[in-house]
Parts: sequence; C-alpha cells; structure tokens
Amino acid sequence: MNRALPEMLNCMNAPGGLVAGNCTDMTVLDRQRTRMRWQQDQFQQQPQQQHQGYFGGNELNGVFNHVPIQASQVQNFQGLIGLGGDLGMGQAVKPDLSSENGWTELGYGSCRFEMNNISRTFSCPPKVAAETESNNAVAPAKISSPAGKESFKKRKADKAQNNKAVAEDDSSDKRMKGCAEEGDSKITEQNSTKNNDRESSADTSKENSKASEVQKPDYIHVRARRGQATDSHSLAERVRREKISERMKYLQDLVPGCNKITGKAGMLDEIINYVQSLQRQVEFLSMKLAAVNPRLDFNIDDLFTKEMFPANMANFPTIGMSSEMTSSAYLQFNHIQQLLQCSGLESGITSPDSALLRRSISAPISIPETFVDTSCFTQVQPPTTWDADIQNLFNVEFHQGRTAQFPSQPFTGSIEASNLKMEM
Amino acid sequence: MAASFVSNPDPCLDSSRKKRRKVEDDRNPASTTQVRWRSDKEQRIYSTKLVEALRRVRQGSSSSPAAVSGGKIVKEAADRVLAVAAKGTTRWSRAILRSRLRLSKRLQKCRKARVTGDSRCKRADVRRERRRTPAVQKKVKLLSQLVPGCRKAPLPNLLEETTDYIAALEMQVRAMTVLTELLSGAPAANRLNLTS
Repeated sequence: MNRALPEMLNCMNAPGGLVAGNCTDMTVLDRQRTRMRWQQDQFQQQPQQQHQGYFGGNELNGVFNHVPIQASQVQNFQGLIGLGGDLGMGQAVKPDLSSENGWTELGYGSCRFEMNNISRTFSCPPKVAAETESNNAVAPAKISSPAGKESFKKRKADKAQNNKAVAEDDSSDKRMKGCAEEGDSKITEQNSTKNNDRESSADTSKENSKASEVQKPDYIHVRARRGQATDSHSLAERVRREKISERMKYLQDLVPGCNKITGKAGMLDEIINYVQSLQRQVEFLSMKLAAVNPRLDFNIDDLFTKEMFPANMANFPTIGMSSEMTSSAYLQFNHIQQLLQCSGLESGITSPDSALLRRSISAPISIPETFVDTSCFTQVQPPTTWDADIQNLFNVEFHQGRTAQFPSQPFTGSIEASNLKMEM
Repeated sequence: MAASFVSNPDPCLDSSRKKRRKVEDDRNPASTTQVRWRSDKEQRIYSTKLVEALRRVRQGSSSSPAAVSGGKIVKEAADRVLAVAAKGTTRWSRAILRSRLRLSKRLQKCRKARVTGDSRCKRADVRRERRRTPAVQKKVKLLSQLVPGCRKAPLPNLLEETTDYIAALEMQVRAMTVLTELLSGAPAANRLNLTS
C-alpha cells in the first residue's frame, strides 16, 4: 500500500497507459482508494449539499477502509475470488472516471445507500467501537439519505445507460472480503460496477481506520452484477451459492465418474455413494488386517525374509538380505516405506489393465538407492471377488490422481513368477 | 498528504498479506488437499503410525484376551491414526479424536441431543434458504452424517470437509491395502514354500 498509493497518484496525474500496469498490482482496497480520490476531486467541484454527503462518504470510506484492513487478517479464501475478476476491471477505472460526472453523483448516492447498510452490518457482530463509529457516520448521512436513495434510483437508470458504454461491464465484478461469521454475514452493497466506491480522501479515511482499529468486523463486500438483483438478501444468497458451487466443482474432480453429472442432487448422490464405499473399504481392510494382525510382531521379520526370498523367485539374492535382518526394525520400516512408495507409483501404471500389483525386489544391499528403480510389488492375485473389485476401484482412483513419474519396470517376468506362485 | 503516506505501511502490509492469502486461498481446497493426501510421504507416515498403533492394540489385546483385536478395533485405530495424520486442521479429524476420548455411551447421548438441536436450527435455516429443495436437503443431511463431526456444519464448510475427508480416506485405503497385502502375502508365500 505504501508503494501502491504513490503509484496510484502518479496514475491519476498521468492518465493513460500507466493505469493498466499499476492497477493490476493493486488490491481492491487500493483501487477503492483511487476511485475515492477521484471522487474527491470531482466532489470539490460539487455544490454544498453533496459536500455533506461527501463528508459522510468520508466516514464511510473510513469504515470501509478499516474493515478491509481487518479483513485481511482473517482467513477466508472465498473472500478473494472476486479479486481475480476485479483485477481485470481495474484497467477500466480510468476511462470511466473521466467520462461522466454523473458517475460521481451516483457513487456518492450509493455511498449513502451503503451507509445504511453499514449500520446494519455493524449491528451484526458485537463490536462496540465499530458501532459507535457507524452511528457517527450514519448521523450526518441520514439527513440526506432519503434524497440520496431517490437520487440513487434515478441515477440507476442513467447508470444503466452508461453501463453500456463501458466495456468491462459484462465481466463479473465481485469483491468479497473475509467474514468471520459466514452464516449471518450481512452484505454491503456496492451497486454495479467500479465507480461507486470513490474514497473521498485517503487522509481522513486512514485516520478513521486508525481510530477504530480496535475491533474490526469482517464483512463480505459484494458487487451486484449487471442485470441482477441488488437486494442484500439476494446478494448474500448469490455469494453463498457461488461458494457452494465452487466446492462442488472440487468434489467433482475428486470423485471419479462425476464429470458427466450436473446438478447438485446427482452430485451429492455420487459423493455420498463414494464416501460410503470408501468407508466400507476401510472396514473390510481393517477386518482383513485384524485377521492378519497376530502375525504383526513376531512374524514381521520372517515376513520380510520370506518376501524377499520367495522360493520360486530364484533371481533374488538371498545372502545380502540375511545380513540386513539384524536390524529388523529399521528394515521393517524401511521396507514398508519402500513398498508403499512403490505401490503408490505402481498403482498408477497398472491401473487400467490389471488388478495385479506386481512386485520385484531389488538387490537388498542397495535398497535405498534402487528401490526407486526396480522395487515394486507383486501380489498373488486376490482370490476373493471383493478384493478384486477393490483393487479395480483403487486402480481407478489412483489413476485419476496420480501424476507421479515412475520408472520403467520389469513386469512380465514378475507376472510369470506370480502365476507360478499361484499354481504352487 | 503526508499523513496518508505515513499511515501507508499498515495497509501495504495488509494488502500484500491479502495478496499472498489470495493466491493461497484460491488454490486452497483442491490442490492443497490433493497434494497433501496423495503424497507418498504422507502415506508412509500414516502407514508407520498405523503399524505402531496396531502393534499397541495387539499388545493391549493380548494382555486382556477378552478384547480380541477384531475388525472394529482395527478400524477405529486406523481412523484415529488418520485423524492424527490430519494434524487437526479439519473438522472431521478433530471430531474423530474427540470421539475417542469420550465413552461410546456418552457419545450416543450427545448424538441424540445434537439431533434435536439440529431440528430446531433447521427450521430457522429453511426459512432463509427457500431455494434448497427438500431432496437436496435430505442428501446434505445424509452426507453430514457420513462425514464425522459435520452434522451441524453449513453447506460450504461441509463440502470442504468432504473434500478433505475423501482424499484422506483414499490414502487410508491405499495404505491399508499395502499393509494387508504385505502381512498376508508373506504367510501365503510361507504356505506355498512349505507345501512345495
């Protein structure tokens, strides 16, 4: 902000191409401030009546300013999605500002409109300091607020016409900042596009922000899109819907087979089925593990030895392994890690074709080096059907998400070996 | 004007912080989750912890032979280890760890109490959100019952938790498969060696 504001001042002093480059670096707050400063410049030419509202707008901006400052300290990833859309808009700030004077009035009117909303929003979280500030801010504005509302409505028509002249109007123009209580968040409206938020002066706003920095409630600042309802309730709902749809998209990527399904109900069905199936898998596996569990302790060393040296896999050196068996604990975990890693790599390879996870054991002495290269799993094909289904399921899942690079491995030999195993 | 410049540092920092958070938060649900639960390292960590937990369970059960380490105990241990691996960042993981501390009876009582509370809240919520069709609402309720600790969660949070929970479950299944095969494959080979 320190660096941004001087840049913005330079922007305003030197209209033209600087805006684009600088605006993209600015946050919403900065852009807000530039607009407010423009507004301020415009206001100084306005008659007295609007001066009062300008003053109210000052406090409004103070309110706005310290709200975002606090908001930035609170985590809400949703709040910043709109910034991406807003960045693109920043470039159009300049031409809009210079185009019509009516914009300033409109923005000013909307500021007053927002004042009332702010008084509402401040009552939502129990922050005393903010409420006192809002009361102070609302008082001067309330006198002119009815007039402001009417004028606001009038200017809405003008604005609609003006909107057509602006190129960027069609892009979604949402700004959302953090809100600690999502369920009850009130939304401050900033109707339509960019020019409504003109900060009157950076000085007073920052002083206000400093003064009332004690408690800063978090709000979601949303802009109504063009041609959409600007009611605070509908804005709130829209914000909520977008949040939900975004998360549904993430889930769609996660759950296999959801690409074709559209609609919340179908998606939810798929998600529920998938979670249930995963939980059932965990149950089955845990039962299986429980059956095998008694072998956990005393067999663990034997297991590894037997794994390393299956009788039918003659090509694996046995001598090297025995020397390592002394450090069985290390070996156990080491092998678990290797095997897991290999299985993780392997499942990506084998996913679409076979239900087999193949295993071949590398030279044991150089295990840490070579496990990446040649160690992978071979398995006796699970006899039970549900195992095979689960394997297929796993492979499908793994294949979807896996981006790991795996080295080429000698598969065919191990397949035959495993077949031999089965026959025996 | 000077005043405005003087007070700049705070907003500057905040804006930069906001920018950083914006980049993180935009990617937050999807990529972080996937990266986190799909990494091999995470799976390894989980597996080693699971082995230790199972060992402890077995030792515990051997000391008190009445409690045979059945599938349920293993599942609970696995879930607990999974919740630990989540490092308490998600709601479901905290709920799993909380439920382990309570006795099962107390948990059921709390569940019953929670249900009534839900119905009361639901009425207020339904008034606000008329767009939710009852079918969707039923499914949301089902899903919230599936994911631990998310019964009363609002829908966006619930979906976020579900994302993380699904990724974690997948990793759990992978790790347990490997472990099972590891433990069961060797005895099979044992048998084969003996018989051959």
